[in-house]
Amino acid sequence: MPPAPAPAGAGPAGDRALGGGRFDERFLRKLESLVMTIRRSRVSDGLLRANRASKRVGAGLEFADHRDYAAGDDLRYLDWNLYGRLGRLALRLFQEEEDLLVEVLVDASGSMGVGSPPKLDLALQIGAALAYVGLANLDRVALSPLGDDQAAALPPARGKGAILPILRFLNGVSAGGQSGLAASVRSFLARRRRHRRGLAIVISDFYDPAGHRAALDLLRHHRLDLVAIQVSAPQELAPDLRGDVELRDVETGETRELTISPAVLAAYRQRHQTLLRDLEGYCRERAIPCFTVASDQPFDAVVLRMFRGGGLLR
Amino acid sequence: MSLATLMSGPLPVRAAVVAGAVSAAAITALYLVRLRRRRVVVSFAPLWLPAAGPRTTTSWARRLRNLLSLLLALAMFGLVLLAAIDPRPAAADRAGRSLVVLIDRSASMSARDGDRTASGTTRLDRARARATEIVDGLGGADRALVASFAADAVAESGFEADAGRLRRAVAAVAPSEEPGDLPRALAFASAILRGRPRPTVVLVSDGAFSDEARRTSPPELDIRYAGVGPPGRPGHNVGIISFAARRLPVDPSAVEAALVVQNFGVRPASVAVDISAGDATVERVRLDLAPGERRRHELPNVFAPDAKLQAKLLPPADDELALDDVAYAVVPPLPHRRILRVGSADLYLDGALLSLGRTVAVDRLTLAAAEAQRAHWSDYDLVVFDGVAPAAPPDQGRFLFLDPHGPGNPFAERGAVRDPVIADVRRDHPLARQLDLSDVNIASARRLALAAGDVTVAGSFGVPLLIARERPGLRIAAVSFDPRQSDLPMRPAFPLLIANALAWAGPKSDDAAIEAPPALLTGASARPREDLPEVAIAHVGFHRVGDMVVAANLSDARESDTATPADLALGGRKLAPPDPPAWRGGIRVGHLALWLALALLLLEWASYHRRWTT
Repeated sequence: MPPAPAPAGAGPAGDRALGGGRFDERFLRKLESLVMTIRRSRVSDGLLRANRASKRVGAGLEFADHRDYAAGDDLRYLDWNLYGRLGRLALRLFQEEEDLLVEVLVDASGSMGVGSPPKLDLALQIGAALAYVGLANLDRVALSPLGDDQAAALPPARGKGAILPILRFLNGVSAGGQSGLAASVRSFLARRRRHRRGLAIVISDFYDPAGHRAALDLLRHHRLDLVAIQVSAPQELAPDLRGDVELRDVETGETRELTISPAVLAAYRQRHQTLLRDLEGYCRERAIPCFTVASDQPFDAVVLRMFRGGGLLR
Repeated sequence: MSLATLMSGPLPVRAAVVAGAVSAAAITALYLVRLRRRRVVVSFAPLWLPAAGPRTTTSWARRLRNLLSLLLALAMFGLVLLAAIDPRPAAADRAGRSLVVLIDRSASMSARDGDRTASGTTRLDRARARATEIVDGLGGADRALVASFAADAVAESGFEADAGRLRRAVAAVAPSEEPGDLPRALAFASAILRGRPRPTVVLVSDGAFSDEARRTSPPELDIRYAGVGPPGRPGHNVGIISFAARRLPVDPSAVEAALVVQNFGVRPASVAVDISAGDATVERVRLDLAPGERRRHELPNVFAPDAKLQAKLLPPADDELALDDVAYAVVPPLPHRRILRVGSADLYLDGALLSLGRTVAVDRLTLAAAEAQRAHWSDYDLVVFDGVAPAAPPDQGRFLFLDPHGPGNPFAERGAVRDPVIADVRRDHPLARQLDLSDVNIASARRLALAAGDVTVAGSFGVPLLIARERPGLRIAAVSFDPRQSDLPMRPAFPLLIANALAWAGPKSDDAAIEAPPALLTGASARPREDLPEVAIAHVGFHRVGDMVVAANLSDARESDTATPADLALGGRKLAPPDPPAWRGGIRVGHLALWLALALLLLEWASYHRRWTT
């Protein structure tokens, strides 16, 4: 395979432009290679079109449907031919063509800083990769960290040239604060100027004492198509703790003395699996693509698996 | 209190109290310090929550678990301290005794009282077991030394409080073939105990000591007697008390042996004794012995092709001591003697002299030549004047005159007698030993006058024919007739007469009853010969000392008497039994405490992992 052309900002100068940190020239080359791979495999034709037919009925060119006339409707869209045949006033409806708004929501709460490497690193890399795929397909991409301590979101941008500001923004994201997933989503939704339809990619560990349902329902109710990506650290999947320990919750600071025995470990694994199965069940019932990844996996493999697994985009 | 004192025995109570107080305080302080656990940061504590139990660490249950754990730790430490103190019952914990456990390993301790098989238990085995009980029963402050004795006493250990070392010393006591010397052993113990607190001797023995040893007043010691074997039980033993052999003075080629056997039992005994020389059995003697009978049996002419004689007793089935069933004797070598024969050639006489064997050297001289060497006559064992007499009668030396006549005849001649008949013979005289002179035909004999002190060994109606004269430094035997004028040279009596004359005249001749020279005794030091060093014999059997082979036997009636006394009295004072053991139970408190501590440790381990304690 010929080497992929480097995206804007690649090279040492690009490293400096990125400010170092999580993203470097090698990361950018991987991004471009990932886009090329997706295009060749045509795993997401819909996403590669510049324009997408939205479900919104409006001023498009393609006829979609009729509806009864109501007072105040634009008379230009009355179907006079139908009125001549049936004697009923009806408006012609057209599918409105619009670009896709991709909202990448990365959980940056304190729990995402756990793991080696931290879960947040993989979450940001996945977010950056999906953002770049979107930018490469002329979609509008916005990024929003979720968490108490997070700064304002990055507004929607279009075009591959926007990747550098996105990466710089993501470099500044760090884990901290409590999850409060629903509260963070509410804050995010409040910041949106227009309640456009779009695609919301939620990357989180979904460790929320209040559960994940409220947050995801909020997004769904705001006409956002969802993709859920659950990130777990390997030591969360299979803890290697033994003996007497003092557990400290990274977000709440709560401490707990505990003697880790095999029985305790088994119970923990059982509860963790229950949490994941609950999330997957919720998504499956609502046709929401859901992916569970471990933080020690390479981001490009994870992204490729998401596209090849299908269902990421409709 | 030195470190050596602390490490060498049970921990003193005072030190244990101090150590216990300090350590209990330290343990309690450590329990008061909150356990610092390893801190682990988790991303979502609720996943662990249901397993975490009550959230508060100051709950009463937690306090109770801590208290239980503390109590377990204190209990374990207390038990370890108790084991270190190694307490004994106060009644038996006599402070400061210095004991010498004196184990009798003399020959009688090899007796097997009950089981008489070769692998059966000997008295020494029981003595070792009894001594082990004694050292196991020592008090906490006691110190003991294990010693053993037979003819001599030796220390098997130093003064110890460690029962293990003392037990090993007891087990190392080996049986001896020597008689026991109790006064010497007690003197040894007394010397060891001098200056030590509360000196005590525990004598572990069968009580088989001589009356002399029993009469001896023991040292001023607290002597206890731990008897082995059933007290007051009669013995069942037949043993050889003495065995010796010698050459007959009149016939050194012949060997006489004497055997003394005694039945120490209370029942009659029929025994056989095999006498062997080298590997060949040459005699078997059967003896029926009454209870307690000591029988002396003489073997007048033992065939001894080998100088080593062994007497092996075939004992009755209930014989208890095998050590005295065998005895050894060495036959002395043939003596070398010199004879000077003076006179003309005499084939009969020379033939008789040749019959004396190669150990007799004969010089032959004429009368003149003999007179020239008169000063050397005393160097000979016997000077024979055959038909001649010296110029002057000899006054020193040993002589045999055959038909003496002439100026130097020591017996005055009073005429002659024709055809004398030997009518009187003194059978008890050494010159007549085993002589058969009856019917000796004699052509004529000189009538010799006897001086005062002269003895007529054989005569013919008042005419002396064989005369013996003994003076200080002088012995003269005289035959008053010419043997060649008789048929005496044709009879066996003639060489016997020459041999008897040689034996009687010889300086070492002894015609008394056979007194068998005793063999060397085990346990005694002896010098077999003047030019040989003194040796101590420990085992019965043959031993080589320099160029000499000697025999050693037990030969001690007191050791062979296997009867056990009901008690033992020394110097008229009956010995008390040893003190009862300090602890008669099978389990010592110290050991029990250690096991309990181990059980508590396991309980604590289990409780910790079961979360009963923290």
